[in-house]
Amino acid sequence: MKFSTFVRYLFLAVFNSFIIYLVPVTIAFESWFLLTIIIIISFLINITYLTNRLKPLKWITPGMIFLLSFVVFPAAYSFYVSFTNWSTGHILTKQQAIERLEDMTFTNDNQKGVEFDLYILQDQDLDFYFLADLDPDKLLFGKAIKKEEYSQVFYATHEPSFKDLNGNISIPDEYYLLSAKEQIANSSELQDLALLIDKNTRVQLYNISVFGASSGRLLSAQQKYSYYAEADILYDNVNNLECNLGNRGNFICDGETIDPGWRITVGTENYKRIVEDERFRGPLRIVTFWTFQFAFFAVLATFFIGLLLSVTLNKESLKFQKIYRSIYILPYAIPGFISILVFKGLLNPDFGLVNEWFAPVYELFNIEPINWFRTKASSRTAVLLVNAWLGFPYMFLITTGALQSIPKELLEAAKVDGATSRQSFWRITFPLLLVSISPLLIGAFAFNFNNFTLIFLLTSGGPPIVGADVAVGYTDILISFTYDLAIAGGRGYQFGLAASVTTIIFLIVLLISAISFRYSKRLERVYGNL
Amino acid sequence: MSEYTYINEREYMKSNKLRFIVFLLMFSMIAIACGGDATEETSEAPETTEAPQETLAAPATTAPTPEKLVIWAEEKIAIALEPLVGAYESAAGVDIEVVIYDFGAIKNDVLTAGPAGEGPDLFVGPHDMVGEIVANGVVAPLDLGSIASDIFDVGITAFSYGGDVYGFPYATEAIAMYYNADLVDGVPSTWEEVKAACDAAGTELCVGAPGGGGGGDAYHNHPFFASDGGYIFKFDGGFDPNDVGLDNAGAIASAEYLDSLVKNGTVASTDYGASMTAFQEGRSLFWMTGPWARNDAAAVNYGVGLIPTFNGNPATPFVGVRGMFVSAFSENKVLAQSFILDFFSTVDVQAAMYAQDPRLPATKSLFAVVEAQDPIAAQFAASASNGIPMPNIPEMGNVWGPVGDAMLIIRDQNYGTNEDTGVTVNSAADAMKLAAQQVRDAIAGG
Repeated sequence: MKFSTFVRYLFLAVFNSFIIYLVPVTIAFESWFLLTIIIIISFLINITYLTNRLKPLKWITPGMIFLLSFVVFPAAYSFYVSFTNWSTGHILTKQQAIERLEDMTFTNDNQKGVEFDLYILQDQDLDFYFLADLDPDKLLFGKAIKKEEYSQVFYATHEPSFKDLNGNISIPDEYYLLSAKEQIANSSELQDLALLIDKNTRVQLYNISVFGASSGRLLSAQQKYSYYAEADILYDNVNNLECNLGNRGNFICDGETIDPGWRITVGTENYKRIVEDERFRGPLRIVTFWTFQFAFFAVLATFFIGLLLSVTLNKESLKFQKIYRSIYILPYAIPGFISILVFKGLLNPDFGLVNEWFAPVYELFNIEPINWFRTKASSRTAVLLVNAWLGFPYMFLITTGALQSIPKELLEAAKVDGATSRQSFWRITFPLLLVSISPLLIGAFAFNFNNFTLIFLLTSGGPPIVGADVAVGYTDILISFTYDLAIAGGRGYQFGLAASVTTIIFLIVLLISAISFRYSKRLERVYGNL
Repeated sequence: MSEYTYINEREYMKSNKLRFIVFLLMFSMIAIACGGDATEETSEAPETTEAPQETLAAPATTAPTPEKLVIWAEEKIAIALEPLVGAYESAAGVDIEVVIYDFGAIKNDVLTAGPAGEGPDLFVGPHDMVGEIVANGVVAPLDLGSIASDIFDVGITAFSYGGDVYGFPYATEAIAMYYNADLVDGVPSTWEEVKAACDAAGTELCVGAPGGGGGGDAYHNHPFFASDGGYIFKFDGGFDPNDVGLDNAGAIASAEYLDSLVKNGTVASTDYGASMTAFQEGRSLFWMTGPWARNDAAAVNYGVGLIPTFNGNPATPFVGVRGMFVSAFSENKVLAQSFILDFFSTVDVQAAMYAQDPRLPATKSLFAVVEAQDPIAAQFAASASNGIPMPNIPEMGNVWGPVGDAMLIIRDQNYGTNEDTGVTVNSAADAMKLAAQQVRDAIAGG
């Protein structure tokens, strides 16, 4: 038996045992969708690796699974969410929302705040009884019953005999008094039990006290809302109102929407809102335009700096070439969020080092120190500058690699033909470079199009666009605008709205990538034969 | 080629034996996995045990494993609770699991994990999320009963929503004014005196307050518009999203006063970081922020006083309150609320939490303990007692951006006409009116 085969089967065994462990779990949570996926994936994996007939699939399958689960599925799910009203007040399913509503209790006004000692008793049949010490004239005793039994009359009775002459509780022999520990052991059953005092009032266990006496509270015998499934209506028992189904995933009582609501699909409403809502439209225009500008100039600046450095350092005669190269890659090794926060400090207009360093320059030309982050132009410049710092090592890295893969014969031939070094760079090196690098430039564009971290940490979108209808800033790009609109600002979270903007961003990036790839393919056709 | 297939076939024969081993291995792993599961299952089903038989002496607690409560708490609270819960666990016969959670992440995860059936029974969080988690139906009301009288009013207000109370407040916090004790004796009671003190001390900056310098911050700026009659939402039993007071006479008067303070150099244009370094380096005489910054302020010899008055009225900082909630998805709400009422709210537990995480006490009994031993905390508490809790309604999400931006205009003196929107803001009054309008539009627009 070969070692590799053994390893393969070992991995397969671990994988399968994990899957078999997952199956009952998913069944328990009733997530049938996940179960289907799990079964399909495990079937695929087993078929692929247990036979030798599907060789190519062995290489493709893992990648495909990751692609599906981390790219295709999230995209498809966002797309689905964009057609729902998933937002604050609408995160539950209808069934869960109704359960919550039916769980709500209320206390009649004159009984609010009444707190009393409550004793839990058990008889020989293990039925529970409550003894509520409301006041000297009301030592109420009776069987604790479930909600379904309220209609059967088990009203509590005043039982002065349960107290001895000193006012201490004394329980008749046929009952057993539960200690706090025993109450807690049975608490999940006790929480559903109540002692009915009269038609309208019940006593419910409220606080099981380990250190003192347990206490109870008075509640209305009715729940706050009752749901009638046949008519699909909710009844408000406090105000005696019939609440009808609203069209937004809510019940509506007397014109007022009742929280919690539930998730429903709302069609293209979220998209319509983005396009039609006056409040979004104005800022959206500014933000979209700047997003394109930012992504374009971010790629341009980093590419230019990276290329300049890689071409400069590509001379073979250069001493310490490797050391220089390592130094220029260093910024890449520092986590972006640290660099960003450092730059935020450096660029501080009042105390930052940048303005301190430039103080002589400002003086020389007699100009005002630049107010970084406070004006439209300066903050946008700052964002691009910091991004150039963060991004150039990547470009430096890939262009260095690409430069080294260009055959030297071509450049030598050009030299023989009498081309200047500038001519041979622009006519030979650069086009060949673009062939191999343009997909990566497209990737960089897509990345910067959604460069949330930079914007969020450096400027948080600021400075504000004064007078815009929503709070939005000049350095906000589409993704940070979405965040402000649907997550940070607004009435809680609006996942549906956020998902619809995300879907639009996704489509924009997809479109741009498709066009650019087409263009780069043409480049390849032209220069690939060289 | 033929050689290749030959090897493959041989491998295949061998692998038959191998398969047997592999399946054996798999089987044992499954057995282990299920075995673990099985013990867990029995532990989760104590109610099914028909405990006492005929005799009454047999208590109902022959249940083999106890009820369980899962608590999500931030690290410091969890550390404080860990040594204490043992006593409650053995006295009550419950199993309490305290999960350390990032404070800021709790809300999001309660919203998703609760409905999925994986949430905690109890969780801690800031009071300003109350409206949102109530609207989403993931939190259960908590009748504080007799312990309510031990809690400062601001705490009860903070956790009230729609007529019910939704949590037990255990800590409050509010900003006050740090001063550099080497340069000044205390915080004067008026801004004019503050200015005079700064001129006398000759520091580069006078008051460093976060919320300027490009960093919009409605929280730290709250006293600058709400001390003299201004408010975000009117409070009347609950916060009313339809009554916005950002542009009433009091708010505008306060904002205009702030404008004059910025113009004469009393209040510096600083964001949080800049105000902190300025204070630490002795370049500013005062720093307006909260008790969380005490370690940072300790770079200089500091003291704490009340924020100076506005038009004779005490400054009203925003008060943040932290509390413990019962999840609506808890399987055992009676037990969960008993844990709060019977154990978590006791002064011993509160004091242990204070020792780990010295925020201002929300209970009077703990305040009595703290007041004597920590006069600086008492100053912050006094400042908080003048303040109002941050509105806990979900509509508050519409406020932070516009108000932060408006205050930023004033703090940074960024007046003028905007080239893109054509809107002119030439005064503090304009800025406040704009913010009020943005908030009203946003609430109307949903």
